Amino acid sequence: MKKLFALFLIVALVLCMVPAAFAADDVTLDVIICQYGPNTNEWFERGGKGMDGSNFVEKFEAANPGIKLNLEVVSWNDVHQVVDTRIANGNAPDILNLDTFSEFLPDGLLLPVKDYCPDELFNDFFPAFMQDFLVDGEYWAVPDLASARALYYNVDILEEVGIEVPTTWAELRDACQAIIDFYDGEIYPWGIDMTTDEGQAAFAYYTWGNGGGFTDENGAWALNSDENVEAIEYAISLVNDGYTNPNPATQTRYDLQDMFAAGKLAMMIGPNQIPTYVKDKGGEINMATASLPANEGKTSASVGVKDVMMAFKDDSAPDQAARNEAIGKFMQFFYDPANYVGWVSMEDFLPAVNSAVEALVEANPSFEAWLNVLATCKFYPTSMAEWAQVRQGVTTVEQNALTGADVRAELDALQAEIAG
Amino acid sequence: MNTGLNRTKWEPYVWLLPSLLLIAIFVVFPILIVFKLSFSEISKAGVIGGFIGFDNYVEAVHLPAFKTVMLNTMWWVLSVVILSTVLGFIIALVLNQKFRGRKIARSILVFPWATSLVIQASVWNYIIKAEYGNLNNVLLNLGIIQQAVNWRSSYQIEFVWECWVGIFVTVPFVTFCVLSGLQSIDGSLYEAATMDGAGFWNKLRHITLPMVRPSLTVSTVLNIIYVFNSFPIVYTMTKGAPAHKTDTMITYLYMLSFYERRKGPATALSVIGFLILCVCAGIYMVSVMRKEEEL
Repeated sequence: MKKLFALFLIVALVLCMVPAAFAADDVTLDVIICQYGPNTNEWFERGGKGMDGSNFVEKFEAANPGIKLNLEVVSWNDVHQVVDTRIANGNAPDILNLDTFSEFLPDGLLLPVKDYCPDELFNDFFPAFMQDFLVDGEYWAVPDLASARALYYNVDILEEVGIEVPTTWAELRDACQAIIDFYDGEIYPWGIDMTTDEGQAAFAYYTWGNGGGFTDENGAWALNSDENVEAIEYAISLVNDGYTNPNPATQTRYDLQDMFAAGKLAMMIGPNQIPTYVKDKGGEINMATASLPANEGKTSASVGVKDVMMAFKDDSAPDQAARNEAIGKFMQFFYDPANYVGWVSMEDFLPAVNSAVEALVEANPSFEAWLNVLATCKFYPTSMAEWAQVRQGVTTVEQNALTGADVRAELDALQAEIAG
Repeated sequence: MNTGLNRTKWEPYVWLLPSLLLIAIFVVFPILIVFKLSFSEISKAGVIGGFIGFDNYVEAVHLPAFKTVMLNTMWWVLSVVILSTVLGFIIALVLNQKFRGRKIARSILVFPWATSLVIQASVWNYIIKAEYGNLNNVLLNLGIIQQAVNWRSSYQIEFVWECWVGIFVTVPFVTFCVLSGLQSIDGSLYEAATMDGAGFWNKLRHITLPMVRPSLTVSTVLNIIYVFNSFPIVYTMTKGAPAHKTDTMITYLYMLSFYERRKGPATALSVIGFLILCVCAGIYMVSVMRKEEEL
């Protein structure tokens, strides 16, 4: 009886090992992609039809036998929670798409780009984008896509009131007053989003338009510079004078876009996706774009936002070279113009690689103007380890200022906290 | 005979074992982990380091928003629990009366409770929106107001709205708890009281309240825990803005952990919250049990 039982155990053990032996050469990559819009799941996930009737996972696996994808699309609201939980449990994803990467550097979690990215692909990325991913002589992430911000205005409202598009802060204030007077407060002249989602963007719009910004010329945090104080005080004064949407701390960019699409908001700063957004909302407004207004004597700065792809180390992987190669193949397949152009244009984003430009401009000539804007954009200092705290910190400063706090005292406190 | 006696001794524990195991795995174990984490260094990315004593607690209580958030949490729990208990009790008294359409009224009352909190909060966000909110639309159409009103003109008012939504979604739970208590009261007690000349208030004080006290205890203790730990309403309506002035402890520690990436103090705050909750619920339960014993 015992012999029979032992035999049974051995057979069961062997049978258990059979599938493992067959799958031994397979590399499975855990991938987390952020949800950019309703089409993201359809485009990426198994069973989706967004990628020419198929999806990224199935197409990738068909083109790359031996590599399996365990791909998950996660909403922006949840992604930090998901990633942090996985890291705390020692189960970091192999590939992660996010808006920052610097918080993973101090723990040595990331794989250098050179370990997995083929040279041809590396050279295809816009060099200006890649500079932000260089820390301690090593690149740690690659750009996923980008968007650029511009001033959107309702042409009909400005014409009806009889004003020009403002280019300076003083002109903006005059334009706001003219709109208030003309419509008796029925239309908000200027949109401001100082919510937790976009407070850092508001900080960038005004401080960069006043010669300030997050950092000084040496790349050190300079959050409490005189230019920054003046810029935030100006932005808050627009709210206090009744020129903006009433609740900038809780009204998100999407609330502003809804108001803009409904013709209830005359001007707002927003990303290049706004025309599509307005169209999807059924808005029939006559809109145009212009440079962001800057303070007198200062240069208008375009604001760019770019997201990233990064790969994590996994010391437990049995074959590191095969894993790195699989990650490289994922990247190559994703950035292949045959796939990438569809991805970028589907959600109306701007590309991060040169090879996609021609096809995108051919499909939509308006892209060219945006690509020119992108070339002159300033980006957030996301490579600095304190970025997450700074992003939240400047938003808190703005929101405190909205309730009457002193901007200089707030920025001094933030600078002391961040830079020590 | 002995075997049978022994069996009756240990058998209940066997039946309890699966539940105890589940509680140990899904409740006790995570609580112990959080306690351990609160004394550990945790990096921005969530990597757990070594023991650092009370550093996380010291950092947590010195955060600029700590005092505001604690006060908000107190007002949030007190206002939602007390007002929803009072309103729920009154509605339960009404629904315990026999009237035409009582079943429909009871069914309608379930809706706010049965709907997801995120949806409830989002719907209220739309109702009170200044630009095209339903409340403004109705009032404008009725001619009560001539211009759209900003119903969220200050953070204090926004916090009141959050409390109101909290009350709105909590009332049904209290109502049904009290109703179950009311329905178990023997009608002859009221008849006897009436014969003795007792009026409405006397019957309420000497019969209804003592008889529904166990139901009220359950609903109040559960509400203290649910409301304290409630996340969706505050997060959906304001995300704690402006500058954490409408945050409660739970939403604040989430923002701290996943937006500011200060996981150490966030973990310490969650332990502080857990201890506060244990003390509050404990004090309430002990005081109620003493009163019941006195009765």
